[in-house]
Amino acid sequence: MIPPILKNLLRIKKFDISVSIILFITLVGIIGPFVYTVDPTALHAPPEVPPNNKYPLGTDSYGRDLLAQLLHGIRSSLYIGLTASLISLAIGVTIGAVAGFKGGITDDSLMLVTNVVYALPSIMLMMLIAAYLKERNPLFVALIIGLTSWPWVARAVRSQLMSLKSRDFLAISRMAALSDLKIMFEDLIPNMASYIFMAFVLLMSGAMIAEAGLSMIGLGVTRGVSLGIILYWAQLLESVRRGLWWWFIPPGACLVSLATSMLLLSTSLDEYFSPRLRGR
Amino acid sequence: MSTLLLEAERVKSYYHTREGTVKAVDDVSLDVENGIILGLAGESGCGKSTLMNTLMMKIRPPLYLVDGEIIVDGERISKMERKEIKKKIWGVKISLVPQSALNALMPTKRIIDFIRDVVKFHVDVSDGEIVSMARKRFEELNLPEDSLYLYPHELSGGMKQRAVIAISTLLNPKLLIVDEPTSALDVSTQKRVLKLLLDLKKFKIIDSIVFVTHDIAVLRQIADRLVIMYAGKIVESGTLEDVLSNPKHPYTAGLIHAVITPEPEIRKRGLVSIPGEPPNLINPPSGCRFHPRCLHAMPICKKVVPELVDISNGRKVSCHLVKA
Amino acid sequence: MSPVLRFLIRRIGFFALTFVVFTLVIFTLPRAIPGNPLSTLLSQLFQQAQANPELIRAVYKRLMDEFGVGKPLHEQFLLFISRTLKGDLGTSIAFYPRKVADIVFAYLPWSLGLLIPAVLTSWIIGNMLGALAGYKRTTALDNAMLPAFLTLSQTPYYWLAMIFLYIFAVNLGWLPIGGAYSSGRIPKLTLDFIVDMLRHYVLPYLSILLSSMGGWAIGMRSMVIYELGSDYVDYADSLGLSDSKILRYVFKNSMLPQVTGLALNFGSILGGSLITELVFNYPGTGFLLFRAISTLDYPLIQGVFMLLISTLLLANLIVDFVYAYIDPRIRTGYIGE
Repeated sequence: MIPPILKNLLRIKKFDISVSIILFITLVGIIGPFVYTVDPTALHAPPEVPPNNKYPLGTDSYGRDLLAQLLHGIRSSLYIGLTASLISLAIGVTIGAVAGFKGGITDDSLMLVTNVVYALPSIMLMMLIAAYLKERNPLFVALIIGLTSWPWVARAVRSQLMSLKSRDFLAISRMAALSDLKIMFEDLIPNMASYIFMAFVLLMSGAMIAEAGLSMIGLGVTRGVSLGIILYWAQLLESVRRGLWWWFIPPGACLVSLATSMLLLSTSLDEYFSPRLRGR
Repeated sequence: MSTLLLEAERVKSYYHTREGTVKAVDDVSLDVENGIILGLAGESGCGKSTLMNTLMMKIRPPLYLVDGEIIVDGERISKMERKEIKKKIWGVKISLVPQSALNALMPTKRIIDFIRDVVKFHVDVSDGEIVSMARKRFEELNLPEDSLYLYPHELSGGMKQRAVIAISTLLNPKLLIVDEPTSALDVSTQKRVLKLLLDLKKFKIIDSIVFVTHDIAVLRQIADRLVIMYAGKIVESGTLEDVLSNPKHPYTAGLIHAVITPEPEIRKRGLVSIPGEPPNLINPPSGCRFHPRCLHAMPICKKVVPELVDISNGRKVSCHLVKA
Repeated sequence: MSPVLRFLIRRIGFFALTFVVFTLVIFTLPRAIPGNPLSTLLSQLFQQAQANPELIRAVYKRLMDEFGVGKPLHEQFLLFISRTLKGDLGTSIAFYPRKVADIVFAYLPWSLGLLIPAVLTSWIIGNMLGALAGYKRTTALDNAMLPAFLTLSQTPYYWLAMIFLYIFAVNLGWLPIGGAYSSGRIPKLTLDFIVDMLRHYVLPYLSILLSSMGGWAIGMRSMVIYELGSDYVDYADSLGLSDSKILRYVFKNSMLPQVTGLALNFGSILGGSLITELVFNYPGTGFLLFRAISTLDYPLIQGVFMLLISTLLLANLIVDFVYAYIDPRIRTGYIGE
């Protein structure tokens, strides 16, 4: 019933803890808004109410319900994280795979491009691009994050591929005269599945943190809520100095526990799949 | 005439792991006389590397010395503190030539600086003396003097191998333990390393060598005595001549038969002529550990562990087929 | 040519190329993004002309000139490059008629003064703790430290900053609630002022220090574990070299990749600390950038990034010099990207 690989993974404590936290918060974000049907943008409630029975997480200075904001915020942060990481992954894996597989000039030039983008901090590139966009919906924000976060994936995939390339099965495929593309997608990529999944998990946590950073500096989504946007309003309206802890602690805590669990998940996968692997 | 340089008495060293206790060396007794080259052979996973480490008390968790005694040159090292062993025994009385000489040297230090660190820890000598010692030994091993002032990555593979041997023998240890030094080398380099080891002994820089390998063909060129290990136990030992020409244990016979095969591929893998896999050492087979793979297995083999008995003049076999 | 020189020349070439690429990005973005943000801004300004016609017209004219609106693209680019090379980053809109370069240079020292000590101390402390955890791996100490490192490494600087500010300044009242010095004071070199400045410095410094420390510690821990399992450690051990000496070897070899890591992560730490400045109203470039963004002051936004990236590439280059000096494998041409 349960595939043996999952069975083995479930034996790792780190894996269990991280997956449970991720699943829990994700479910809260997906199902929560259907159960708790308060409009996160409605300004009906009395302002700055601490958590109580009626407003479980209190309200902000505009009288918005913070639990409703949090639930919708988790949902859109997850959406941005997921979309951005898929974009980065697609770019990074393609560039890394082509560079590592083709070698020669293709490799040199692709890696030069990658290293140049890598040398520029992605958060700054994001800010720069976002600053010129007047309307920023979640998809745009995800695009900006995705387009700037791929270089390390490309580098990692390439070096991983280099080590796989030296192994036997590739020579066999070569002898069978399979096309490069076929070898790449039928032999190499599946062999790297676990590695790519780890990259995906790390990209996703990185993207969610990046989203919050962009929002904080005033370059987040222009409509709707996200975890970053809640923090942005909390910062803008001086929630910290005015002691409104219920405003800035929950969104940050959600973000940190999600991101930490994702890092923990990738660590446990790393230990499971490649105990002596060193990424450089 | 031959006195004992190393005696190991009923040694048991086990790995305590989460999956269970791995009895990697189980009740092994072994002597190394002065002035001999002893070849220790067996398949990979038979416990020969663990035995090698145990002989020099290079034991760290999860490996533990459960029982037994080890005496080196009159010192009971099995009772010594690790610190004392490091200072007084390793590098001074027993030295190791590791398997992977290519990565064995500290990568970010010049070789002479590494040598200085090592020597200073053992003996109280001046920098000048250390340099002249190192120069002399490098010269003896045909290494250019300048190489002392290079970083490891600046040496060729063959030079690294020699440099490691030079460093290991710098303080003239009595016993040199050599761990599969030839397995990664091509045949001509292999030959040169073997000659080097023989020279070291000839010039009395070292006294005895324990040569650990899975490759009996190599031992044939260098060893005086053979010890064959299987699944954590010694199954047979004796002079090279005796063991090779007249193996008593079915496992030894299979091992030798495998070597005679001219195919290098098969030789590399060791034991194709013996069907089956080496046993796992957490739950070793009852009785004689070889019985599941043995063509001559008898009912008694399943039940009783055969003792290692002396059949004549230091020739020892552990098999129910052989009656003393 | 010596290997070190060759390595350094290659790195300088690489950073020069990176800088050119970045300049291109800065040039292209306002002109390429659909809806042309520049013309939006200009028409906005034009509509506001009623409020203060003189001033707005002057700003408008200056912007038209500086961006070369109306000229062909290649002329715009040449204009842009020649101005940039002269150190002219244009004129700010929000602070008109001040030059962008002057404004940014007034704010930059505060950012660097916060960032550099925080990064260096977090690097040192993080590496030491990571080495300790790696050496004591699988013990209770490591088991307690690792989750803390993991969590810290995933905590946004500014969120930690908010919590620190809430606890130590708002609730406990031990430290000031923001700014770089008490309002009303004039920066001068008196003991009194320095103490005041340090009191404002503690929380932002600690936020950046702590949240960037986790990453270093995790990296160092796995480096040490890897090195401890390597062949040279085993060999040195078998030669009887003392454990403390071997540990020193391991530490040295694990530190080397961490030096490169310092260069690689400088940018993201800078990004994080910019936002941390916001939380503390700390008058650095992050604070400036936020103002520039909220007033759509494009020349200022560009200028801030231009200077930050230049600083960053320079820092990377310095790290490369240091690295070339300390790693013998570069000195002898064994490795080098």
